Amino acid sequence: MYNFSKLLLNENMKIYLRTRTWIMTGLLLALVVFMTVPVYFMSKDSAMSMWTLVKYESAVGYLLIAMFTAVVAAGSVAEEFTSGTIKLLLIRPWMRWKILLSKYISVVLFALLQVVLLYAFTIAFNFLFFDHTNVTAEEIHGFFVGDGQYEGSAAVYNMKYYAMRFIALLVTSMIAFMLSTVFRSGGLAIGLSIFLVFSSISIGPIIGLIDYKWVDYLFFVHLDLVPYLTGNVGDRTLGFAISVLAVYYALFAALTWFVFEKRDVGA
Amino acid sequence: MEQPIVQMLNVTKRIGKRTIIDHLSLDLPAGEVFGFLGPNGAGKTTMIRMMVGLISITGGEIKIDGHSISKQFEKAIRHVGAIVENPEMYKYMTGYQNLVHFARMVPGVEHSRIQEVTELVGLGSRINDKVNTYSLGMRQRLGVAQAILHRPKLLILDEPTNGLDPMGIRELRDYLQRLAKQEGLAIFVSSHLLAEMELMCDRVAIIQQGKLVEVVKVEKNRESERTATQRVVFEVDDLEAALAVAATEGIAGGRAGRAIAIGADKEAVAIFNAKLVAAGIKVYGIQAQHQSLEDRFLEKTGGGHIV
Repeated sequence: MYNFSKLLLNENMKIYLRTRTWIMTGLLLALVVFMTVPVYFMSKDSAMSMWTLVKYESAVGYLLIAMFTAVVAAGSVAEEFTSGTIKLLLIRPWMRWKILLSKYISVVLFALLQVVLLYAFTIAFNFLFFDHTNVTAEEIHGFFVGDGQYEGSAAVYNMKYYAMRFIALLVTSMIAFMLSTVFRSGGLAIGLSIFLVFSSISIGPIIGLIDYKWVDYLFFVHLDLVPYLTGNVGDRTLGFAISVLAVYYALFAALTWFVFEKRDVGA
Repeated sequence: MEQPIVQMLNVTKRIGKRTIIDHLSLDLPAGEVFGFLGPNGAGKTTMIRMMVGLISITGGEIKIDGHSISKQFEKAIRHVGAIVENPEMYKYMTGYQNLVHFARMVPGVEHSRIQEVTELVGLGSRINDKVNTYSLGMRQRLGVAQAILHRPKLLILDEPTNGLDPMGIRELRDYLQRLAKQEGLAIFVSSHLLAEMELMCDRVAIIQQGKLVEVVKVEKNRESERTATQRVVFEVDDLEAALAVAATEGIAGGRAGRAIAIGADKEAVAIFNAKLVAAGIKVYGIQAQHQSLEDRFLEKTGGGHIV
């Protein structure tokens, strides 16, 4: 009915006017600095490739981003309820689903901003310290998971790595957003979604080994998409994994919007 | 008669088996301060939450400015400003940023309007401080500011005097009246504070257990008191003698403790007093006992639930 971009502007304002947003962003960048600098001074391998550092920092950085996005997603809805401001927000000439959509988009934009920052900063910062001749992905990573080998440069692999992790990030942030909306408790949303992120790393692959067909349809078996870069995982293809995630994503979104639309905003 | 700004038609709210609002029908005329009075738990807040679409309506319909709040939400809410319970704002933002936030959600609210509203509620330079440094009174002002920002036709305030000190209550009352006059809007106020409602409102609806008990016109009440017959108590030294005087004058006198009570208008009071004095009875005091909103309220609700 009116200008939707104004809603986005509001939600972004509420994210970036908070000190914690800048603390989180600062921590993310500090992580890169505090991994690169000590390695530079302590490493005896003078020809170490920058992509080695980029690899480790991106892996850890993504975990941080998943947590931070959960914090922002949880804050976006649950905190409006705990602070009571939801009552002022919902009595404006806007349908509820649009208000929720503006919140979700701003959360995704926050995640995207963090990812872009991490990507650019890991490359720029390590470029200053380490060897930046072109290397193959295999030299840096070695491959244990998946069936095939990754043919290609480390730089291209890094880009694909970011894409794979970002898909998973979209799913986990949707989960955080859903928990935040359904339970109206920021703590629960943050805690549970962080648990999911970490369990997808540790438990996911183990459950993936269970030899039942239904296991393939559990979403958190597929939260780690990186192994697919080197081929199929067991008899599962990347397309299949993404399809399963997409179905869950749609279900979570449907539930989130349904609950928010129907909820009685009571005492 | 012009169209009422709010029409409530057989509004019912049930949560589980509990009926909180029970077939309540009420029209609110434009341009009045209308009170919603009831004991705690009568359903005032529930009614207000339904009026602004925060909770669903089980049965019946609420129309604001002719639009159904449940079916045409965006149109109906467009001309409503409200504070539901406490004026909770974004504490990490300044008062001004809070107002900008809400201004963006309705088209046609310019920056000059934000200034104007800030002046009106008297926030002045404090508007640029973070809300977490505000006192409750200032948050209340900011709450009113966000509610009137988009020039609503209807202002809904739920328990607006809650937590305010007497000074704050007085200020709130003053600028609500100023708003009603300057901006010409209808104001709907809920409260369980009787005296407050009597001072603030033109009309008051009394509700109890989700049902409408009575609509009282406050202003008319005050005026009628001057001319109408009311209960007047005479404090005298000899009660029996006074009762005898009343009997000979044909006035129905009754005992009121150690005083005599009669029903009389102003003139009759003076005449009866003269008769008492003429009969050599000492009159120590004359007191008119006008029926306040409180009496009406207690009478209507049985008085059991007042806090």
